[in-house]
Amino acid sequence: MALHSTAYRWGAVARLFHWLTALGVLALIAVGLWMTDLPNGMRKINIYALHKSVGITILGLTVLRLLWRLTDDRPLSPPGQPAWQQRAAQAAHVLLYGLLIAMPLSGWLYNSASGFPLRWFKLANLPHLVEADPALKELAHGAHEFGAWLLIALVVLHAAAALKHHFVDRDDTLNAMLGRRAKDSK
Amino acid sequence: MNTPRQRRRAAGWPVALAAFATFAAPAAPVAYTVDPAQSSLTFVGTQQGEKFTGTIKSFRAAVRYGPTELAASTLDVSMDLKSIDTRSGERDAALATAIWFDYAHTPTATFKSVGPLRATRDGAVADADLVIKGKTKRIAFPFRFTANGATANLDARVTLDRLDFGLGAGEWADDSVIGHKVDVVVHLVLKPAAN
Ligand code: HEM
Repeated sequence: MALHSTAYRWGAVARLFHWLTALGVLALIAVGLWMTDLPNGMRKINIYALHKSVGITILGLTVLRLLWRLTDDRPLSPPGQPAWQQRAAQAAHVLLYGLLIAMPLSGWLYNSASGFPLRWFKLANLPHLVEADPALKELAHGAHEFGAWLLIALVVLHAAAALKHHFVDRDDTLNAMLGRRAKDSK
Repeated sequence: MNTPRQRRRAAGWPVALAAFATFAAPAAPVAYTVDPAQSSLTFVGTQQGEKFTGTIKSFRAAVRYGPTELAASTLDVSMDLKSIDTRSGERDAALATAIWFDYAHTPTATFKSVGPLRATRDGAVADADLVIKGKTKRIAFPFRFTANGATANLDARVTLDRLDFGLGAGEWADDSVIGHKVDVVVHLVLKPAAN
């Protein structure tokens, strides 16, 4: 199993980062949208704590992932893809990476500005980014919520594009991320 | 035969007795009140692994204390729990509810020493009844007493278990989210009571 990516396929490390992030982000979006309506209580506190812990994990994963990406190769665009599509895909990926950093940071900022403690999976307490600050709290909350909708839109677009490559264009874009042997690789 | 020297020694006795009598004279302990501006009553709890401090801003205390009159010395404190400030509006609002202090029914906590105090190296230990949320617990309350002329400082730190007072029962008893142990830090600046 190749750890590094090649011109035709994503390596095991890149795939692991990708699918762990996908799983985490989908769970965070679903739980995030649901948890705010829970009645106050211990359950709400624990579910919020879980959302925050997974969110911080995504931050750590994304930082590691970007570092790995600096050293890693990447598959070529599918042959014959129009330039505008390549640029659009690139822009979407930059935005996705940006949100994978901005979402946890805005959540952390919101948490700090609210004066709440932040504990990662009941294991370690993280520092407060700022002192309790009601105005900043509102701002960070707004950013987290706006970012969430932007992220949802991008994730839908991202998945739709992958499915179009797979089922309409019938190219290897999705296969390359699934670790399947790409048709044109040896 | 009295030599002059023996006479002087004999004459010394009443003086020494008188001096001893004045030293032992305050047969009752000194009554003190607190200087609210300089005194503080705080507690340190743990929320999700992180310590937070709450200040009981409004309380009254009457202290009667004499290092040699421990049997008659007493501590009597009454705390207005509604004055608690934990530097978080959300947390303060939660403390008001029936899960925590239940201000609607039990807005006051009291602390009263029971029986004689016991001397320690730098103060004394009081056995005291602490009443919070209608629940009474007998606790040992060791404190340091430092006299500075007419005023004095009383300093103490005791660790309580919030469950002893029904604070956060049921699902809220989870120690990993809100710690059971709460440190109470007492710093009283005392001045002699007016009467
Ligand atoms: C990639 C990481 C994250 C994603 C995708 C994510 C996603 C979401 C979503 C979709 C919501 C619901 C938005 C709304 O309607 O208000 C939400 C809410 C929330 N998130 Fe995150 N989140 C992430 C990280 C974090 C982190 C790291 C924290 C805290 C340290 C956090 C704290 C919160 C809080 C407190 C809420 C509830 C806001 C409210 O009460 O209205 N999130 N999150």
